[in-house]
Amino acid sequence: MTLLSLQNLQKDFGKMRAVDDVSLDIAGNEFFALLGASGSGKTTLLRMLAGFELPSAGRILLDGRDIAQIPPNKRPVNLMFQSYALFPHMSVAKNIAYGLEMEHLPRAEIRSRVGDILETIQLSALANRKPDQLSGGQRQRVALARALVKRPRLLLLDEPLGALDKKLRGDMQLELKRIQADFGITFIVVTHDQEEALVMADRIAILKDGALLQVGTPHDIYEHPTSRFAADFIGVMNFFPVHSDGTILRADDGTQIAAPIPPGLTGAAIAAIRPERLHLDGYASENALTARVTALAYHGLDLQLHVETPLSPRPVILRLTADQAESRAPRPGDTVTLGWSARDTRVFPA
Amino acid sequence: MRDRRPLYLMTPALGWLTAFMVVPCLLILGLAFFRRGLYGGIEYTLTWENIRLVFDPLYAGIFLKSAWIAGLSALIAVVLGYAAAYAIAAMPRRHQPLLLFFAVLPFWSNYLVRTYAWIVLLNREGLIVHLARLLGFEGELPSMLYTETAVVVGLVYNYLPFVILACYAPLSRLNPEVSEASRDLGAGGWTTFRRVVLPMTVPGIATGFTFVFVLSIGNFVTPALLGGGQFQMIGNLVYAQFLTANDWPFGAALSIFLIAIMMGLLTLQTFASEKASGGRNA
Amino acid sequence: MRNAPLPLMLAILAAVFAFLYLPISVLVALSFNDGGLPTAWTGFSTRWYAELFSNADIIGAALNTLIVAVVSTILATLFGTLLAVGVEIRRRKGRFLETIIFAPMIIPDIVLAIALLSFFSLLGVTMGLHTIILAHVVFNLAFVCSVVRARLKTFDWSIVEASTDLGAPTLTTLRRVILPVLSPAIVAGALLAFTLSVDEFVIAFFTAGAGRASTTLPMQIFAMIRFGVTPEINALATIVMGISVLALTLSQRLNRGGLPGQ
Ligand SMILES: Nc1ncnc2c1ncn2[C@@H]1O[C@H](COP(=O)(O)OP(=O)(O)OP(=O)(O)O)[C@@H](O)[C@H]1O
Ligand SMILES: [Mg+2]
Repeated sequence: MTLLSLQNLQKDFGKMRAVDDVSLDIAGNEFFALLGASGSGKTTLLRMLAGFELPSAGRILLDGRDIAQIPPNKRPVNLMFQSYALFPHMSVAKNIAYGLEMEHLPRAEIRSRVGDILETIQLSALANRKPDQLSGGQRQRVALARALVKRPRLLLLDEPLGALDKKLRGDMQLELKRIQADFGITFIVVTHDQEEALVMADRIAILKDGALLQVGTPHDIYEHPTSRFAADFIGVMNFFPVHSDGTILRADDGTQIAAPIPPGLTGAAIAAIRPERLHLDGYASENALTARVTALAYHGLDLQLHVETPLSPRPVILRLTADQAESRAPRPGDTVTLGWSARDTRVFPA
Repeated sequence: MRDRRPLYLMTPALGWLTAFMVVPCLLILGLAFFRRGLYGGIEYTLTWENIRLVFDPLYAGIFLKSAWIAGLSALIAVVLGYAAAYAIAAMPRRHQPLLLFFAVLPFWSNYLVRTYAWIVLLNREGLIVHLARLLGFEGELPSMLYTETAVVVGLVYNYLPFVILACYAPLSRLNPEVSEASRDLGAGGWTTFRRVVLPMTVPGIATGFTFVFVLSIGNFVTPALLGGGQFQMIGNLVYAQFLTANDWPFGAALSIFLIAIMMGLLTLQTFASEKASGGRNA
Repeated sequence: MRNAPLPLMLAILAAVFAFLYLPISVLVALSFNDGGLPTAWTGFSTRWYAELFSNADIIGAALNTLIVAVVSTILATLFGTLLAVGVEIRRRKGRFLETIIFAPMIIPDIVLAIALLSFFSLLGVTMGLHTIILAHVVFNLAFVCSVVRARLKTFDWSIVEASTDLGAPTLTTLRRVILPVLSPAIVAGALLAFTLSVDEFVIAFFTAGAGRASTTLPMQIFAMIRFGVTPEINALATIVMGISVLALTLSQRLNRGGLPGQ
């Protein structure tokens, strides 16, 4: 069931187009991630949904009702700010109670709801602290609780984990997902960390220069990027410059590459292959290539291999699992035979 | 060795301040406990008489009235100054320094001149009376100069720029996302102002109020010029003890109370600043 | 504040700026009014300025003011700068020290005025321009110190250590390394001190002693104002205002750090 529907949404700041013709449907209960580089318009899009910016064109429908003209304090939508924007002069409990007081709820109810949510985010012990007496992670949870306690139809989170260190981030990604499921609230999370989007989201939208490039499940986006930008932005990808005559793909040095060519693609193109789809048993593959190992990088779970090929001036990256690495660890200088199958290859216009 | 170096750098200034500020102020403190000589001058016998005299209904009344005038001026100046600072902070960032500069500029012109400007406007032959006549008012207009109102207007006028400056500092440091968060959580514009913006900018208000109050309560120029000769505030009383009545010990006692009030207020202000927002706004 | 209603904000600004600038503008306008009266504009004229310059009392007072301001500024700039450097070099910050340095800026002028008056007369010092200068240095050095300290807050002390490391004695380091970096702030502080001294009335009034010989310009203005509104005062007020505004603007230019008292 569609909860939020954006139709040809657009926002201009003077000559600068921050959001460009975005159309998107988001279902109730969905965990949706907006992914894009810095300055791609993520915050601007959220601010329009929250009511802090008027769209220059287009419509925002919530449950089928156009909310573009409704002021932020009257929308059943809450925003968790990139800077958290906690009230520095109020305690943690007062911060969280603020939004409920605005609804003129009975005191007892406010108290119990604040107590409950403090429990959920495990901050009951710090209820009387002021924000500047909290750690970054604690502040982040207070900001989340403050928005969540109002039980909005839609919760917008602008880089909720941006200020946290890597370890805490990993924990909080799962925590956010659990909370979203428990509360049954639709989340739109902004992030510029692709890994985070892949881990958390039901669906991901990639924004580039204010426009939507691709929308899909993490699997879709990872395995079937529809553009070179999306392929590069998500995960690690090896690219080779190639030439297509419509049926056959050749690398610059003449090597033929077996790959599904998108209909109508001729001329200069780019072939792409994920590091984990490459293997060292080239002889049995549709694509095989002799290469020389230049570097090894140990990553804990896996081993990254940099190899030199005639196909591309850049080293090709290849990922071996720990098991594979143990049985046959190549060393720098070794000559290996790379292989990969045609269906794992993606081809984009250059 | 390292700690010696600053000492000789500081010696001239600290010596100067000791000789011409600390010692004279201690002298005043001592003076307050001596008797007034028969023909002015000082008689060196200890007494509480001067301190007691400050609480005499006649003088306590002047203290109260001065406090009232100073408080009223400070209140009006804070309301106007806060509004102005808020409006400046609401303008586009690139215009703000210039607006602020022009708001503060009058503060650095001569105090007497600024006070005199109001005499030009308010006096019996002044511009306002003249305008009123032009608008058709006949007969005797109520005197505007030499009133309590004139004194308050003069004080507000003189110290308003400082209040603007004091209130602008915390307002401009306010993260706009904090008031947006309040709107997002369901508060209207007024509630947001009352519950978020105002409490976060209390330090500026406290500074502005204290400053105007302290400078007003001890002022003698404005009451003398705009209040007329018969209008008395503590400042004028102190002035009179030293320059006409020749009762230095009593004048010294009055000054001590003036300083006490000032220190009390400054302490309160520091307290207010520390309480609001825990010092930093994020 | 992005959501503040713009028309209301503009109205507030217009009202406050009118309140701040109308009175002094009227004054300036009247100083150029040939008739000199606020009731009628009788044409542009500079005759009141000419009259001013032929008034010996005023010229004398202006000279006195200049002497007081120049001498007290020089002394205050010297002492205030050394004080600022000394305080900032110290690693320990003393509360007592801070209070003493801050006090001259906030102590009610009438209190300092009567304290100095009592002090000088009990010591039997004859009062005159020299006592005014002694008094003005007190608050001027505090203001210079605060301006210079504001600059020192962003000063990179490692260059001092570098200079010492290269073999320079302390005084050489001060002269060749610290002072050049500080000079804009020092000049700004000096201009501020000059302005304050030119404008100061209460303390000068109490420490000038008897007789007309040591009357300063503000004292002269005060006496004239008590006498009544005259076109000469308008002209004099305009000149005094112009000087202060000029000095302040210059000081701002030199020292982009913001206004003192901030
Ligand atoms: N109020 C504004 N006025 C003018 N330009 C703006 C304004 N807000 C945003 N922009 C511009 O719009 C573009 C998109 O900004 P936005 O803040 O939405 O990016 P973002 O994707 O959130 O980036 P980040 O990851 O750095 O937070 C940027 O180029 C920005 O400079
Ligand atoms: Mg952003």
